[in-house]
Amino acid sequence: MTQAPINGQAEGGLEPIIRCRGLTRTYIKGDNTITPLAELDLDVARGEFIALMGPSGSGKTTLLNLVAGIDKPTSGSLRVGGVELADVSPSRLAAFRSEYIGYVFQLYNLVPVLTAYENVELPLLLHRLSGRERHQRVATALQLVGLADRHDHFPRQLSGGQEQRVAIARAIVTDPRIIVADEPTGDLDKESAAAVMALLEQLTAEMGKTIVMVTHDPKSAAHASRVLHLEKGRLVVQDERFATLAGA
Amino acid sequence: MKRLPLEYAVRNLARSPLRLVLSVVGSALVVLLVFAAAAFARGMEHSLRASGSSSTVIVLGAGSEESIERSEIGSSVASLIAASVRGIRTRAGVSYVSAEVHVQLPVFLAGPATPEGDERHPPEDSEDAPLTLVRGFTPSAFLVHPQVQIVEGAMPRVGYDEVMVGTLSATKLGVAPDELAIGRRLWLAEKLWTITGRFAAPATVMEAELWAPLTDLKLATTRETDSCVLVALDTAEFADIDAFCKQRLDLELAAMPESEYYSKLGEFYAPVRAVVWITAALIGLGGLFGGLNTMYAAFASRVRELAMLQCLGYSRPALIVSLVQESVLATAAGGLLGAAIGLLLLDGVAVRFSMGAFGLRADAAALSLSLGAAFALGLFGALPPAWRCLRLPIPEALKTG
Repeated sequence: MTQAPINGQAEGGLEPIIRCRGLTRTYIKGDNTITPLAELDLDVARGEFIALMGPSGSGKTTLLNLVAGIDKPTSGSLRVGGVELADVSPSRLAAFRSEYIGYVFQLYNLVPVLTAYENVELPLLLHRLSGRERHQRVATALQLVGLADRHDHFPRQLSGGQEQRVAIARAIVTDPRIIVADEPTGDLDKESAAAVMALLEQLTAEMGKTIVMVTHDPKSAAHASRVLHLEKGRLVVQDERFATLAGA
Repeated sequence: MKRLPLEYAVRNLARSPLRLVLSVVGSALVVLLVFAAAAFARGMEHSLRASGSSSTVIVLGAGSEESIERSEIGSSVASLIAASVRGIRTRAGVSYVSAEVHVQLPVFLAGPATPEGDERHPPEDSEDAPLTLVRGFTPSAFLVHPQVQIVEGAMPRVGYDEVMVGTLSATKLGVAPDELAIGRRLWLAEKLWTITGRFAAPATVMEAELWAPLTDLKLATTRETDSCVLVALDTAEFADIDAFCKQRLDLELAAMPESEYYSKLGEFYAPVRAVVWITAALIGLGGLFGGLNTMYAAFASRVRELAMLQCLGYSRPALIVSLVQESVLATAAGGLLGAAIGLLLLDGVAVRFSMGAFGLRADAAALSLSLGAAFALGLFGALPPAWRCLRLPIPEALKTG
């Protein structure tokens, strides 16, 4: 059964930056076929902040991974930034991720042997930039997340919230069009979580980034402009007013 | 392919100091072993090569081309060759023709002389004494063996049962060098001989020999024949000596260039070198498997981080290169350590062997080979674990602990 598309064009009539049609992902484990995502239709407009919610196994992380280009659909169409990801080779997918996607992980995934500065610089090394340009970009990103004074700190010298902010700086330093965040506040205390969510919100509002975030936390989801609920691999509800409700 | 900076690999080495020490020490041991094997093979090859000259011909008994020690030729052969063949090297009217006896004899060190007089016979267990090559020589030997130089004492006199020893003969006999000091005595062919001199013949098999006057040695061993005659050529060619040997069928002679003789001797020892190499390779293989385990443990703990790097856009080949860099850096450090220890401890060390003794040769070839082994250890020790850690799909790898 194909669902009616949930059209991101509602926001200002922009061309959707993410467009899914009949998007399906199945895995074969032994004799079983698991379908975490089935026949999904979805449009996400540029600059939207989408929160994906749902119980475990509902397919939200699978959708996130597909959008991020670290997984490939079994069938259907997935266009991200005009690129049809279903047809792209692994090497092209790596280039796509470097150019289009900034990834924020629940457990930060900073490289422990590199300083905050070097961690943020990592994605830039894939781009043709002079050392001076790289330095400027890293400094700007660290400043944006409020950690300019921690540039020479190693991850073990930072708090969880600071580590996540470094991870966000790393995700935005290449100026990607889309930021995908997998439970970015899942491992943080309330205060740090609020700071991180404020930062993500700022990225959408001030820099026009499109954010797709997986979360279990309604308070985090409240920062999104649209909340999508998935269940058993299907989109069951979208709630643009969730932010207002959760914030109440 | 955009690669991770080398610094990433360098800093990763410091993640687990214990693992780093294991990698470095393990590869140092393997490299030291390869270095020792290479130095052994190179030392043996060089010793045999340096012992023979292409402008010197050995004349020996027909049928004994494989071993001078089995050869017997008439005592007149040397003078006959000098008189019959034109173009032999001469100096002040003396021909470069050296009659020699080569014989393997048990050598037994004698005690110092006592006021009561010398023992009349070697001790009963002297038959268990180590065999060494004793060369009977005349002064002409120094003409055909220009490498030989007396470095201490004097040449033995004829008729006095005197002998001179090579600088590696102590190694060959398995005794301390001062046991063969000048003035010390030894039993040879049931006679007591006094050491009068010490000679060097760098990097040749002669350095492990004892040299005694030809006539004295022939008397002691009750032989009338010589083993061979060495002839240094000037304008003459090998074919001239060969023709002489073929014309004088009555003398039953054969000729061969000295370099060819030692080259054939080298072939005889090829299986020994092969065994040395195989042993080194097997131990190297053991080291490789140890390295595989260590590197797998090192990489397996970083599967999630490697997945994150792929999320950033780094390709798998780029990550494999980085992991190999890391592994090669560790084994290269071990390699340098092993090679340095080898250079310090092994170079020139004398090795006792059936052909005599020779010095281990830590030359550029041995060094290159052992450092190459370190590189191979790093490369092949990292590739399978790297591939194993990167083969997981990224979403799965991100979930690992």
